[in-house]
Amino acid sequence: MTINPILKKDLKTKLRGWRSTILICCYVTLLTGILFLYFASSNMFNPRSYQSFNPRMAIDAYNILITFQFALLFIAVPAITAVSISSERERQTLDLMLVTATPARRIILGKIMVSIAHTMLLLVASLPVIGIVFFFGGIGFADIAKLLLFYLLTAFFVASCGVFFSTIFKRNITAIITTYIFLGLVTFGPFVGFLIYAMLHQRMPGGFNPVYRDFVTGLFPSPVFGYISFYFGSYGGYGGYIFGISDVQRQIEMLLAAETGIWKYMHPWIVNGLFSIISSILLIFFSSLALNPVKRKY
Amino acid sequence: MKNVVVRTENLTKRYKNTLAVDKLCMEIEEGEIYGFVGANGAGKTTTMRIIAGLLAPTSGSVFVDGIDVSKKPLQVKKHIGYMPDFFGVYDDLKVSEYLNFYAGMQGIEKNRCDTLVDSLLELVRLTHKRDAYVDTLSRGMKQRLCLARSLIHDPKFLILDEPASGLDPRARVEMKEILMELATMGKTILISSHILHELSQICTSIGIIDSGRLVACGSVREVSDRMSHSGKLKIKVSSKEEEAVKVLLEIPEIKGVSSAAGMIDVDVIGQDDTYADILRTLVEKGIPVISFQPQESSLESVFMQLTEGGNGNDN
Ligand SMILES: Nc1ncnc2c1ncn2[C@@H]1O[C@H](COP(=O)(O)OP(=O)(O)OP(=O)(O)O)[C@@H](O)[C@H]1O
Ligand SMILES: [Mg+2]
Repeated sequence: MTINPILKKDLKTKLRGWRSTILICCYVTLLTGILFLYFASSNMFNPRSYQSFNPRMAIDAYNILITFQFALLFIAVPAITAVSISSERERQTLDLMLVTATPARRIILGKIMVSIAHTMLLLVASLPVIGIVFFFGGIGFADIAKLLLFYLLTAFFVASCGVFFSTIFKRNITAIITTYIFLGLVTFGPFVGFLIYAMLHQRMPGGFNPVYRDFVTGLFPSPVFGYISFYFGSYGGYGGYIFGISDVQRQIEMLLAAETGIWKYMHPWIVNGLFSIISSILLIFFSSLALNPVKRKY
Repeated sequence: MKNVVVRTENLTKRYKNTLAVDKLCMEIEEGEIYGFVGANGAGKTTTMRIIAGLLAPTSGSVFVDGIDVSKKPLQVKKHIGYMPDFFGVYDDLKVSEYLNFYAGMQGIEKNRCDTLVDSLLELVRLTHKRDAYVDTLSRGMKQRLCLARSLIHDPKFLILDEPASGLDPRARVEMKEILMELATMGKTILISSHILHELSQICTSIGIIDSGRLVACGSVREVSDRMSHSGKLKIKVSSKEEEAVKVLLEIPEIKGVSSAAGMIDVDVIGQDDTYADILRTLVEKGIPVISFQPQESSLESVFMQLTEGGNGNDN
């Protein structure tokens, strides 16, 4: 199995010169800066403060970091992938790829790998910053490994969406806009839907008392649902207060603990990760089909 | 009998309201340079894209080396080198990296790439630009680079869509030399162009397409012979110039006569025996003919005749 030529070309051209090195440095500096601001604002560096270091703060910092990276993933990956095929088309190089012996599926995969490589580069570059938080305690290696795996799967899904819309729309701008709208719907749609469903059922006799599997059925497509697994709130008895997500998170953890059978193992990130894998495979399949010139009718 | 490398059967491509290719049947034999001639919008590019497997035909089929393009596109692609009528370059790649990228896309192993790229650059005379960025090349150089790209997997059949368009006369000659070199390497070439004169110099066969239909095909000679075409005739007489003009004007096949200082230019419509008749008539009338020169009928006139007759110019 040889390395995908599209990935190879991209790495060669993008890593040439100082541009990407500078970009990574900026990114890590930004993360460090955010952390510093948070610590500074919390009186930690004040010598006259009687308050000692609170491990709760490390956890909050961790929450800030992973949220920031999660948001970045949703902004950066579509920006790379939603133009991946349509820009080849605009540059008139798409036909040149399609006449080669490389099948359409491999072209699509190459484009996805390019965006994942870039995201992973940023994620790995930020590991030392997350390590600082790790140093202050509270978060284990296994948690970070799980987090990286979940981000990888999410990036895979987001990238597949971008490439898919890039394949079916001829123009860059249409592909970008559709990708963001689609991702917005997948991310927030289930929550809105669930909320409406809950409100309607609250008025019925007996009220609305969802169990864990109801949450899974309603929210599984949303990456934010999976992300809840990593948002530290209830572990160790500390309440997380950043972004006000902790209550939902704690409730979900409690509901999960009350589940029985296989549902007990259906952590939000596992359920959503599975959804990401399956939908990515489908999206790649349909993208290849749409790209295949002999089947394409225009 | 030679191998047929490409065969199209009733190839038809319909866009919403235009019939771009209409029941086209074409055969290209091994080792041929097949000139594909037609006016703008005649359907050349569409036909070539279908053969290259980039476009699905509305109906009909294409066989390359006996393999149906729509059934096994990947297998066919190994045999086809396609050079479109645009460049398609990446601005952040060097010439050698550009070729290496397409070598990778064609599945050529890494260790063979470097020597392959070098020999191709030599073939298209770009060795000195090996490390230049692709977007700094001149138009002619880009065109040759694209030719090199289409050759990277050593295909036996080349599809070249107007490879000489936009080139200056010198670059045209260079391109022609490279094509001749490819022909001696045993490649079968399908080449489209507007410049008929050039095609007639290098092609072994020619197909004329008009509004999606192949209106004539065969060797260059056959195509021009088959037509009753308009031609020019130069006659030189030692005296009796006016009488000669009078005699000529009486012949129905002659459409125009002009004369000056013993030289008479004649426009004729007809076949070879028409010319013989004209000469016989002149001699019988006692005109002292010194020379009698039918001008080699140009492909150009065949082309004009074939394409203006039918549906006319639609753009
Ligand atoms: N994508 C398309 N959608 C609709 N019509 C098209 C498309 N591509 C080509 N056509 C039409 O098909 C016909 C043939 O076009 P084609 O490009 O094959 O001509 P051509 O012989 O290559 O012309 P030229 O010498 O200008 O390159 C034209 O009438 C053109 O308008
Ligand atoms: Mg054309």
